[in-house]
Amino acid sequence: MKQKNEIFATYHPVGLFLYFISVILITMFSTNPVMLSIALIFGMLFILVITDLKKFLKGLAVEIPFILVITVTNPLFSHNGVTVLFFLNGNPVTLEAILYGMDIGVMIFAVIYWCKAYNAIIDDEKFIYIFGKTIPKLSLVMSMALKYVPMLKRQYMVMNDARKCMGCCNEDTLLDRVKNKLTVFSMLVTWSFETSLDTAVSMKVKGYGLKGRTHFHNFRFGYRDAILIIITVIMDVVVLWGMTTGVTDFKFYPEILKNKVTVSVMTVYVSFAILMSIPAFIEIKEKIKWKYYVEKI
Amino acid sequence: MKKKILTAAVVLAILAVVISNVHIQSVDEYYLEHAEDIKEDSETVYLTIRCDTVFDNMDKLDDNVKKYIPDDGIILEKTEYVLRNGDTVFDILQRAARINKVQMEYEGADNNVYGTVYIEGINYLYEFSCGELSGWMYMVNGEFLRYGCSNYILKDGDEIVWLYTCNLGEDVKEKEQFNETEE
Repeated sequence: MKQKNEIFATYHPVGLFLYFISVILITMFSTNPVMLSIALIFGMLFILVITDLKKFLKGLAVEIPFILVITVTNPLFSHNGVTVLFFLNGNPVTLEAILYGMDIGVMIFAVIYWCKAYNAIIDDEKFIYIFGKTIPKLSLVMSMALKYVPMLKRQYMVMNDARKCMGCCNEDTLLDRVKNKLTVFSMLVTWSFETSLDTAVSMKVKGYGLKGRTHFHNFRFGYRDAILIIITVIMDVVVLWGMTTGVTDFKFYPEILKNKVTVSVMTVYVSFAILMSIPAFIEIKEKIKWKYYVEKI
Repeated sequence: MKKKILTAAVVLAILAVVISNVHIQSVDEYYLEHAEDIKEDSETVYLTIRCDTVFDNMDKLDDNVKKYIPDDGIILEKTEYVLRNGDTVFDILQRAARINKVQMEYEGADNNVYGTVYIEGINYLYEFSCGELSGWMYMVNGEFLRYGCSNYILKDGDEIVWLYTCNLGEDVKEKEQFNETEE
């Protein structure tokens, strides 16, 4: 198993899960560009801190064209808006529609980054720890389903290499290659059936889901977890209050009106920024600490 | 090498198709069209666009749209338009919107299951702009028809009224009947 270096991952699963769910849901359901930008910036910052720069830039190279495509697509289907730039095949292309497309692109982008962060922080062990007792069957199925594709990919490589090593595959023509792939694929399907059966039997033998069974875990609920949960809940309440009462409402159509800067809007933005910055803040703090200690030695 | 040439050719072909189908006009160019002159022997129809039901439901109305609602609720006054052969209700609306520089958005006939054009919004007043049950409806000669607006072919002298409903048509139907008995 991959060793996790992230300090944020050592927090208690309950707090982490609550945190990620609230962050992802709030980002998904808001259209306010300020909030979405905050979400995107801190999501990217966190990913940048926990992965290396090369991987980060590689991801960016895929995602930026994606945003551009969404930005260009929206005005083709939505013709509302006061500022008409030009007419395309008799339909107006408006500035508002382009900006709205960009906003949606940023939202998708931000959600992708926070899901990446979720994947990096919450692994199977944490997921089963949280839901293993209350919904044992579903959580096992979920955890199996989530790792299914990567597992098949890995096994495919192993089988392919083994066959190549044995020298039993003739790769001269396209037909041969297809035949080889099909053989490996059929092996893969059989193997995956067997593995899932094995998993099921093995879990049953271990008494998974039985009453009174406890799980081994290393998670301890400490002060920092309590603080994380309290901050998350308070900020959630403020942001959700802002979203439900319409304080942060932002309308693109038919005209973008500048929102008045009021105390309530600023409160919501600041609390949202605090909520979003927690993981990046913890990671950066830890990095600085580490560097400082190393220098001291 | 062969592969590269092939992909280049495909990309070029797609680009050519896209470019040949794209027709870009500036705003002034688009609105340059003038109304066709009405001669003595030309067939004509009348068109009105109203949204007065909105005034009964001001609390539900989208704040951003309020600015664009005319004070009397009449977006286009009753005007005579030349009827070309085979013109539908939608054709007349589109032409009138263009001549009078009124914003209008529709969903094309090939994009929906009903096989007819659906009018999403006129003059920035859209479906759902005034509550969940709001949208545009039309009436020809005082009757709400069971046709899509691009399926009804008009006759000489027809009178079209586009109405904005805030309650799935109930409110406009009541109002129109009331007007008739009053007259």
